[in-house]
Amino acid sequence: MLTYFVIVPVLTAVLLYLFSSAKSGRVLAILIQTGFVGAAYYLFTLSRQGEIITSIGNYGGILGIYLRADNLAAVFVLLTAIFFLLASIYSFREKDGSMFWFLIFIWQGALIGLFLTRDFFNVFVLVEVVTMVVAVLIMFNRDTRSMYDGMIYLLVNITAMKFFLFGLGYLYRLTGALDMATITQVLSEADRADQILPYALIMTAVALKCALMPLFSWLPKAHGSPAAPPAVSAILSGLHIKSGVYLFIRFQDVFAAVAATEFFLVMGVVTGIIGFIMAMSQNDIKLILAYSTISQVGLIFVALNIPDPYSYVGGLYHVINHALFKGCLFLGAGVITKVYGTRDIYAIRGVLRRMPWIGAATLMAVLGIAGAPFFNGSISKYFMVAGAPELIGWVMVFMSLGTIIVFIKYATILFGSAPKPSEKEYPILPEQQFSIFVLGLLCCVTGILGVQTIQFLFQTTVYVDFMGYLEKVLIFFISLGVGYLIYKYFVKTSALLRRVRAFELGFREICASMGVFFAMILLAVGLA
Amino acid sequence: MIYAMLVFWILTALLIVKERRAIRIILYFGAFSFITAICFFLLGSPDVAMAEAAISTFATIFFVICVEKYTNLQIDEAEKASDRQEDKKPLTYHLKKFLPPLGFTVFLCALFIHFLPDNTVNTFLKDQYVERFAFDVGGENAVTAIYLGYRVYDTLFEALILVITVVAVSHMSWFDKTSVADGRRSDIQRSGMAVFTIRIIAPILLLFGVYLIMNGHISPGGGFQGGVAIASFFICRYMIYNIYDISIDKIIRAEKAVFVVAALIAVAAIFLGVWARVPAAYLDLYQGTYLLIMNALIGVKVACTFIVLFYRFVAIERL
Amino acid sequence: MNFDIIELFCIAMFFIAFFGLITSKSMIKSVVFMSLMEMAVIMFFLSIGFRSGLFAPIGVNMNPDYVADPLPQALMITAIIIGLSVTAVTLTMLMTLFRKHNTTDWEIVKKKSAE
Repeated sequence: MLTYFVIVPVLTAVLLYLFSSAKSGRVLAILIQTGFVGAAYYLFTLSRQGEIITSIGNYGGILGIYLRADNLAAVFVLLTAIFFLLASIYSFREKDGSMFWFLIFIWQGALIGLFLTRDFFNVFVLVEVVTMVVAVLIMFNRDTRSMYDGMIYLLVNITAMKFFLFGLGYLYRLTGALDMATITQVLSEADRADQILPYALIMTAVALKCALMPLFSWLPKAHGSPAAPPAVSAILSGLHIKSGVYLFIRFQDVFAAVAATEFFLVMGVVTGIIGFIMAMSQNDIKLILAYSTISQVGLIFVALNIPDPYSYVGGLYHVINHALFKGCLFLGAGVITKVYGTRDIYAIRGVLRRMPWIGAATLMAVLGIAGAPFFNGSISKYFMVAGAPELIGWVMVFMSLGTIIVFIKYATILFGSAPKPSEKEYPILPEQQFSIFVLGLLCCVTGILGVQTIQFLFQTTVYVDFMGYLEKVLIFFISLGVGYLIYKYFVKTSALLRRVRAFELGFREICASMGVFFAMILLAVGLA
Repeated sequence: MIYAMLVFWILTALLIVKERRAIRIILYFGAFSFITAICFFLLGSPDVAMAEAAISTFATIFFVICVEKYTNLQIDEAEKASDRQEDKKPLTYHLKKFLPPLGFTVFLCALFIHFLPDNTVNTFLKDQYVERFAFDVGGENAVTAIYLGYRVYDTLFEALILVITVVAVSHMSWFDKTSVADGRRSDIQRSGMAVFTIRIIAPILLLFGVYLIMNGHISPGGGFQGGVAIASFFICRYMIYNIYDISIDKIIRAEKAVFVVAALIAVAAIFLGVWARVPAAYLDLYQGTYLLIMNALIGVKVACTFIVLFYRFVAIERL
Repeated sequence: MNFDIIELFCIAMFFIAFFGLITSKSMIKSVVFMSLMEMAVIMFFLSIGFRSGLFAPIGVNMNPDYVADPLPQALMITAIIIGLSVTAVTLTMLMTLFRKHNTTDWEIVKKKSAE
């Protein structure tokens, strides 16, 4: 049954490309996406009763490929379906229609395949498919800048997958299998020393997918590429980066004996801090959002690597929340840049007055990502900190202070007086307003009903301690005050940040940093 | 034998590292691919060797076109500017420049070898595949059995990557339209001798391709390798008549249609587990037909892809 | 330590390609080195469990002790095709970038793209 979740979008993509005109194609696309959300929800309800496993071809043993949908995979599939539906509604009138839908559907199918598969080599193939599709989508408008961004994205990711494939070779030699469940079982009895090298090779590729610290430099190029369609940036930043996090969770389970949790925790902290410093220094609104994604991924990594169920659930919940608010912000930024004709944060003012709906949604998303009380970010951050040891808890508070500063800077576009509309006004399309507002509203809903949503999605009962939450609210307001002061007296004027802004790695440097990361993880695991 | 080949393999790679002239890099790359294919053959993998040989021909053609048009057969543009100044610099300068990356690479390599696992090879899956493929999927070629049977799911995505490639190559090119005016003559200079040779080779290539596809399940080769051979036939045809008279649009559509058909057949035959329900008396026939049809479909699909890629590169990128 | 000589060749090739990737200025060379890196990995896969005297896994009623492992071979055909696709796509991008910037130097392209 699970194969259909992968095959149907792929076949839809090709058939739409072959047989539809631009007009009928987009209507069909939305209809199919809607149906798909229903199917994904059905899968989710089924998975609550237990893991679903499909053997492709019913060959016995582990000869064939297995797909499985446990709770985690089903949640990701549901998120993918909802996210793609909203992004599709947003780009309903995208030019070059049949081509766009073709790529979007393949992207969706391959991502879902990635979440469902239980086979290592299948992961490799699907990641390559996704990488190619994303590279084409980044340079969809064939602007010079995005051409370079897409090329860097493609080459860097493909090179990383060579590391993955090499590690997979060692893994195959050791275990004689490609199936994740079997490999987990074999590895639990295998010698620890034999697992170090495959783990380091595979994790180098996964860390690059997640843009962990030395390997982050391709991400802002890809996610913040100015000419890429906004829906593509939103999916990339909201959902696509999570496929890396998902693979990380899976592979940490597979390599339980050598899993370097402390190492990734430290890398998460470093990533989070450098991410928000970079984000603070940017003036391009798309780049601010892209760098903020890096810092949020760092936060998620910290939470996932704390050995505590509360932090873990908080991290998973933050994965979903980040998809919601970052999706909303990127889609909103797409409209805002079109209307104002600029991406400069200091040139855009008065969004709330000029486009009330989009402005309100953006405000909700900003409050969500900053962790304001009653919004989703505060709930996930509360759980992340609740399970953490004292010191890491304060580090996370510091990281969210950084996020707050970044989004104080971002929120300045909402207020102030709007300039007079020019003659040639860019029309704000209703369907774009709709999908942005839905995402913004979801940020609010998943915040107020946070505990219930976690219960519903992950079947984990969590409790919010009232006094503890009040303390977090207090910390939020203190951070807000401190953040505002820092913004006013440091971010706006600092010459240091101006230098940070220009920092950008080329292809060779990214490759070298891949080597650095590989050495780091090898030493971290080998010497432990 | 294999070790001697591997030494050459490393040597060609070192030559590529050292070389600055783009066209020579490509020539060395061709030699490199050829040696790689021989090594694959010596490692008991004729299927992979054939695929590599076929692929590397095309890859080299693409590289040559790229280099010919865009670097003018001279020293690679990137190296040219720095070339003149740097040749005069003393040796210590070059050492300073290359020592850090070299040291870093050697350090990584040493780390890698230090942590090499020394486990024995686990043949758990291999034994099962070799023993059971004839019953489960049929045919006599275990590689084809895995490729089209056990792991046909992967194969579908691989075919999908080719579909995406065609779309990407047409979309990202600076040239907006999907095809050039049909029937336009090219400007390539050809010698009579070459055309004569190609005229003899071309039909053999076609025959070879069809043979590979038809016998993919019982001998080395298969849809992919055969498809590339058939595509080469069309390239020979282009070289002989020197005319762009194939409608790329139609081939692109045909390629996608073939992909859909292949996917549907794979879903029907493998994913739904139909093979397990076929009566034992007909199982051989069923499996043979399935392998033949899949090989043929993949062959056609791959041939289409490569014809499109070749025409894009030769007819459009060279403009 | 118990290792295979072919494996060492593959590792050497992998790091030669890595060295090329971190030093070459030219985009064309980078694409070539990516191919080299891939070939190193593919060679490693095929060498898993290989010893001289093994036959290709083609025939009826084979004994697993005397034939090469068919699974890596099937996987590597896929990897080779992916490699070619990537090469074709990258070269197309490269040519388009060349038409805009008239260079294949990473540094210059980076500088010009930022403008």
